[in-house]
Amino acid sequence: MSLAPAQFAQLNRLIDLQLEVFPEHRGFLTKRFADSDAAHLDFCEQLSGNVFKIAGSDIRRIVEDYRWLSDMVLEEELFFRREGRYRLSKFSDALEQVYANTPFMAKYMNGLLASQLWWRNHTEVLRYFRDGFLPGNRQGFTHLEVGPGHGLFLGLAAAAPNGASAEGWDISAASLENTRAALSAMGASAGIALKEVNIFTAPEGQFDSITFSEVLEHLEEPLAALKILRGLLKPGGRIFVNAPVNSPAPDHLYLFRTPEEVRDMVAAAGFEIVDTLYAPPSGAGLDKARRQELSISAAVIAKKSS
Amino acid sequence: MSTIDKVTDIMRDLFEDYSGPITPAIAAKDVPDWDSLAHVKLMVQVERAFGIRFEAREVSQPQNVGELVALIDQKLAAKG
Ligand SMILES: C[S@@+](CC[C@H](N)C(=O)[O-])C[C@H]1O[C@@H](n2cnc3c(N)ncnc32)[C@H](O)[C@@H]1O
Repeated sequence: MSLAPAQFAQLNRLIDLQLEVFPEHRGFLTKRFADSDAAHLDFCEQLSGNVFKIAGSDIRRIVEDYRWLSDMVLEEELFFRREGRYRLSKFSDALEQVYANTPFMAKYMNGLLASQLWWRNHTEVLRYFRDGFLPGNRQGFTHLEVGPGHGLFLGLAAAAPNGASAEGWDISAASLENTRAALSAMGASAGIALKEVNIFTAPEGQFDSITFSEVLEHLEEPLAALKILRGLLKPGGRIFVNAPVNSPAPDHLYLFRTPEEVRDMVAAAGFEIVDTLYAPPSGAGLDKARRQELSISAAVIAKKSS
Repeated sequence: MSTIDKVTDIMRDLFEDYSGPITPAIAAKDVPDWDSLAHVKLMVQVERAFGIRFEAREVSQPQNVGELVALIDQKLAAKG
């Protein structure tokens, strides 16, 4: 039986492919889609279309890599719940074990691509980015994403009708390769410069809009990175910051325990907070997610005052 | 307090929306919040409550409450 109503054909096809390689995930995905309204499902259907485009004939690999990612996250979860902290704390270790490890990084970004659909909080943040952030940018905005990874955020920014140009910076050549392939599959690659850049040694630049999604928790000094990003923003420019709370992963270094800690750090970097979305995971409301210390995505829209 | 009573307390806290019975036959499929991530949390809380430590393969071993209780009792016995 399909987990989503029949009119969401691509979504159902992708769910079926995922369950073929990960039958144990049926309960989780059933719960994931059980209480979704039509607008949410509609977004999932579009997202599925993008995932199919990006994957091309490799769709099986994407769903297999998602399974691999889920197993990896469970191991990190065990460490996290036992020790109350993330396993790694040094950027140099994450660089060596993850960002510079090409096969690992490619699988990781593939798995994360699928998670944009299967993890409700990821889907909600992406939708918030498209509907709550991009339309508020000025006409003809210039855009930068730091850490674009699977490329879905950058693809959406490049497709925004009010956008003029977009760039992506990432410390990992392997990750940029995923971004490049994804943008070209989405038909969004024209004129998007992708550069190998560590945010702490970033070149000069001035943008109207910046995305910094799921990078903050990868840093030893997240506040310093936010201050650098503020310098890269034009007065009046806007930033979209997204970071997960209580969310262990092999390259997560900085532990945020509440969504407010993310928001307060953005404010401490000198930004004016415009709006926030705190998205709980599948099967929980925000209150329960806080009580049970579950992973919550904290998305913050902020502005550099002019 | 028996092992199953202590396990029941932990499960009531963790699976707060579940008000059904907790008996040896109850398995993850019976409890909506008992997914693989929550299972890890459950096992770590059990470790803490009983002062035991599971091997990596033991963490995913129990298929229902009864098997979990048996595993705990076995670890407690081995600890002496
Ligand atoms: C988890 S991915 C995020 C993908 C996507 N933005 C999302 O939200 O799903 C994190 C990305 O940040 C990059 N990254 C980590 N540290 C960085 C740094 N210091 N400078 C630039 N990029 C960095 C990683 O290489 C990786 O591609």
